Amino acid sequence: MATQTPARAPVTQPRLGPVGWARWVWRSLTSMRTALFLLLLLSVAAVPGSIFPQRSIDAAKVADFLASNPTVGPWLDRLGFFDVYSSVWFSAIYLLLVVSLVGCIVPRSRLHWHTLRARPPRAPRNLTRLDQYIELTYAGDAAAARSAAAEALRRKRFRVISHDDETVSAESGYLRETGNLAFHIGLCVVIIGVAIGHLFGWRGDVIVTEGETFSSTLSSYDSFLPGPMADPENLPPFTIGLQSMSATFEDQVGGAQFGAPRSFTADVTTTERSGGPASQAQISPNHPVTLDGADVFLLGNGYAPIVTVRDGSGAVLYQQATPFLAQDNVYTSVGAIKVGAARPKALAFSGFFLPTAEPTYANGPASLFPDDRNPELALSVWEGDLYPGDRPQSVYTLDTTDLTQLTKADGTPLLIRLQPGQSYELPGGRGSITFDSVERFAGLSARVDPGKELTLLAAIATILGLVASLLVRRRRVFVRVRAAEDPSRTLVTIGGLAKTSDPGLGAVLAGLRDELSTGR
Amino acid sequence: MPSADLVGYSNLALYSAMGVFTVSMLLFATYLAALGPVRNERASSLRDRELVGAGGAVRDGGEAGTGIPAPGQAVEEPSPRARKTANIALSLAWLGSLLLVASVVLRGVAVMRPPWGNMFEFATAGCAVAALGYCAVARRRHWEWLGLFVIGPVLLTLGLSMFAFYTEAAELVPALKSVWLTIHVVVAFLAVAVFTIGFSIGILYLVKRRREERPPARRNFVESLPAAASLERTAYGLNMVGFILWTFTLVAGAIWAQKAWSSYWTWDPKEVWTFVIWVVYAAYMHARATAGWEPRRAMWIALVGYVCVLLNFTVVNLFFTGMHAYSGLK
Repeated sequence: MATQTPARAPVTQPRLGPVGWARWVWRSLTSMRTALFLLLLLSVAAVPGSIFPQRSIDAAKVADFLASNPTVGPWLDRLGFFDVYSSVWFSAIYLLLVVSLVGCIVPRSRLHWHTLRARPPRAPRNLTRLDQYIELTYAGDAAAARSAAAEALRRKRFRVISHDDETVSAESGYLRETGNLAFHIGLCVVIIGVAIGHLFGWRGDVIVTEGETFSSTLSSYDSFLPGPMADPENLPPFTIGLQSMSATFEDQVGGAQFGAPRSFTADVTTTERSGGPASQAQISPNHPVTLDGADVFLLGNGYAPIVTVRDGSGAVLYQQATPFLAQDNVYTSVGAIKVGAARPKALAFSGFFLPTAEPTYANGPASLFPDDRNPELALSVWEGDLYPGDRPQSVYTLDTTDLTQLTKADGTPLLIRLQPGQSYELPGGRGSITFDSVERFAGLSARVDPGKELTLLAAIATILGLVASLLVRRRRVFVRVRAAEDPSRTLVTIGGLAKTSDPGLGAVLAGLRDELSTGR
Repeated sequence: MPSADLVGYSNLALYSAMGVFTVSMLLFATYLAALGPVRNERASSLRDRELVGAGGAVRDGGEAGTGIPAPGQAVEEPSPRARKTANIALSLAWLGSLLLVASVVLRGVAVMRPPWGNMFEFATAGCAVAALGYCAVARRRHWEWLGLFVIGPVLLTLGLSMFAFYTEAAELVPALKSVWLTIHVVVAFLAVAVFTIGFSIGILYLVKRRREERPPARRNFVESLPAAASLERTAYGLNMVGFILWTFTLVAGAIWAQKAWSSYWTWDPKEVWTFVIWVVYAAYMHARATAGWEPRRAMWIALVGYVCVLLNFTVVNLFFTGMHAYSGLK
């Protein structure tokens, strides 16, 4: 540091070479102060991810946010506020923390290794100067007093050694540092486990309607998210046939609980390895099934109305269960029926499925209850080119760029309302649409995470290490014996030394005193 | 269908507990007020004696002999009348806690499931644990001075949960039907209860410490509290236990998330805040273990951690959308 004392010659500052600088950076990075700062920074940096919508959780919400905030939105996007946990700044903070962590673990492990093999140090000359001490008279000679003390300390799980005839040195609580290291190493391994899961894991989501069978291949998933090193060409070849999907909802209790879900159960037939024997299983929330190493979860459900579309001559153009996706807690669902076979122009229907329709439509199509008590389809009709430019599109929505909406005679859009069993004749001899019945579908998610066992083990090690490092006390106890005037008695001084604040040390000493006073 | 009778009794027990706690809280406040301005000279002579005793050896019969009063032990002897007030207050706190426990148990029997499936139930169960835990150790540790700062927040939380978070007794949503509801959530509200008491003592420590450094002209009850260093140790002990419980909550939550949502970590807002709280308390533990940091600055970090706990329970539950949508409120 430059000082302002003019009388003295200027201080020559030490020059740091590249090695010196590297050492300085390493020292600063691994200091407790830096670790503390990074920890606080990490906690602050994590918060935006709970405030702004995240792409990894709900990409549609991010799009909505960007649409409604055209000025701030793109800037937030550039700064990574919609991908906080993979952003450069968040990654930088936790990677620096990991470096700091490693920089703390390595030297401490080395030190602890030596400590574990070292013997307790020699007793200080004057034990009455230690944190706490006790003096007592032992009924026996010095050698007996010394071995009694050593024995008592060993029973208390101290590591005990006598460096000379007059003293005993003992130490306990090595587990504290072991636990501390286990905690910090565990955290590093947790991160490794998470990384393995991210790199090699994958997840595939699929909607299966009652009666359908799903075979796990890459193309059969509705959406598939592989990790960068996953192998999507070699997926486990299990199959799942959905026999029935059942759901029950609260109708006894009022208030906010009315309509809350009570049970979801998918009864399935499964096979493992292609051609394996079929077996029965149930999938429900909290109860996934494991097939060929992949966990299959029931993460969603909804309704798939079976719809038949016929042409003007009555020939069937389209007949299948068509999933409509629930938008809210009462399963107001949206979907689309695309009839590419219709001539001269392709036909399409889009709109709502309402499990318990509110009959008046006073506020538009709405459902009153999530169960199918009064199911109804409310559809608008379109014709034209279903797949303009052959762009990929969702099966649940229409791309209406090259479609025109059919209207009533008065020019207002045509809205078809159908209950099960009802049909509607389309205008202009285009044919008819029939709502046959309702089935349920199950939203299944298959997931493989090869890192999860490692992460779990590391997390358990972390907890155990934390408990040990916070509750175990590192203590040293020294005993010094001295012959009393009466040769059959010995003066014993027991001193205790604690590494950290240790309210239990006094009790340990008192226990030793009691044992030495009453024993023999 | 939950039994309406039992739910009625459960709520009646809760209201009774609130009534009893109110009286208890007022008596604890009276006790503190009575501790304050009396016996100035006696107190100072007592303090001198403490200083002489400091650094001494283990005394006969005493367990900890450092001369510093044991953690949480009041330095002065309160007057017999003040002590009587404290005794009544503590007895009422016991009564209130037992009524609260009865309320939680009755609710559990009424709905035939663990009674901590929504915000109201979580708050009630957490209050029951905090109040009961306080009562269980109060006499042994001479924690009469803490009563106001435990029963007060408990009463406030009960009021909030009864009038703002109340949820009809009902079955659980499918995602909550798991043994992990007991493991994860019980440890979570235990942790919050411990953090709450740690927070109260933390604030008392900061006040006491300030008044120890600059002794005020007028004495009040703060001068009768245990020494700042002792308050700090107690708060640290509680925050440490809370931190361990919170770590367990986080890990248990991740295990449950893997079972229920297919992934053990998805940065759901509740997960984010659980993580933030964990990191802040971890920073506190490190700050306190760092020689260069004075305990006061470390304590501020713990207080920030507790503010995060409160945000996590209120703002995150009510205003953020995520998968932890279990408040039971619309």
